Amino acid sequence: MGESPVAEVGPTDEALLAGMALGDHGAAVVFVRRYQRRVFGLAFSMTNDAMVSEDVAQEALLRVWRHAPVFDARKGSVTSWVLTITRNLTIDALRMRRAVPTDPDDFAAAAAISLEHDPEDSVRRGDARHLVQSALVTLPPEQQRAVVLAAVYGRTALEISETEGIPLGTAKSRIRSGLLRLRAAVEGLRGVEEER
Amino acid sequence: MNTGPRARRCADVGEVVPELALGILTGRARSDALAHVEQCTRCTEELEQLSRAADAVVQVAPEVEPPLGFEVRLFGRMGVSGPATRRLHPRRVLAVLAAAAAVVALGVGLGVGLSGGPGPTTSAPAPHHPGPLVSVADLSEHGEHVGQVFTYGGPTPWVFMTLSDSAARGRVTCEVVTTGGAVRTVGTFVARSGYGAWGAPLPVAPQDVRVAEVVASDGSVVARARLG
Repeated sequence: MGESPVAEVGPTDEALLAGMALGDHGAAVVFVRRYQRRVFGLAFSMTNDAMVSEDVAQEALLRVWRHAPVFDARKGSVTSWVLTITRNLTIDALRMRRAVPTDPDDFAAAAAISLEHDPEDSVRRGDARHLVQSALVTLPPEQQRAVVLAAVYGRTALEISETEGIPLGTAKSRIRSGLLRLRAAVEGLRGVEEER
Repeated sequence: MNTGPRARRCADVGEVVPELALGILTGRARSDALAHVEQCTRCTEELEQLSRAADAVVQVAPEVEPPLGFEVRLFGRMGVSGPATRRLHPRRVLAVLAAAAAVVALGVGLGVGLSGGPGPTTSAPAPHHPGPLVSVADLSEHGEHVGQVFTYGGPTPWVFMTLSDSAARGRVTCEVVTTGGAVRTVGTFVARSGYGAWGAPLPVAPQDVRVAEVVASDGSVVARARLG
């Protein structure tokens, strides 16, 4: 999928990572400034705690710096790699500190704040992030909650069924239906990109 | 229509592919599903598409400006020779404002501030589209930079404040001093371990605000910003 607009300015993310793999400090500075707000923002959206989020964001970007040589572009985008590292570290931090994560409804609400009004315009500009935001906030609330719990907080269907007080089959069904709808948005964008 | 064993297996695995894509399928169910996917082009494509959708969910989190000093601390740990300090570049001002506006709007929906503490004590709704920025000033504490103050104009004047690595602890009060010398209390908020972000309607015109102060519960001024 396409990167955020900031990735379209200056060197590509892949070029910066290649430079970081060779120990290029300048590339690291540009990369950190490009990603620090997204990394901190994801951790903060999950914890609502600035101190925990700074610890997580620092550790995530430090790992990117150290592991830049092993990044494999065939397995996914740089954005996906960086944010997955951040997500996993945040989940670990929440478990270690036995902290209460933000409510999944709040995560979706935060995503909706910067939502654009015209999804078609997002498609034309190849802005996947806004398109997914749009798709996410228009999911039925129970599907939205299940998808966020699974995709962001790493909760299994069984855990979701227990915390939400719903049958396991219902939890699986909500996850499946929600993700299939998001896929339609993401793949629709890919189709537009491939036509260009 | 193909209803052979392989097609039936695809249908069975298709039921759990979303969980596989999300990385939440575990144990035997996961290994069985993966064993089939590795030999099935159709299910491989299905998994790839759903994985892209699953990855996209974390990407919708809003951007939030890290606390001041974040870069310096990070570059120190990385051993990278970044700048020792950073001045607020115009683009960074816009980023801070975007984050501030997001948090202000979020505070209404969620009832929280950036620090996780209570939101504004006032009950007036926050503007989802703040008016024009009137002023930006650094909050200082014994000469040290510990945050920023932003004032907005428009129909609903607004003040937004960030604190980072300050001495503020617990409930503090935001006061503004006007050009005429009047002191007005804007509201109270909670600073956690020196960090916090908060916004509230301004009781005076933003052009009339000369000083903004963060005041501790004992009345001492923790941090001050000169806007005029």
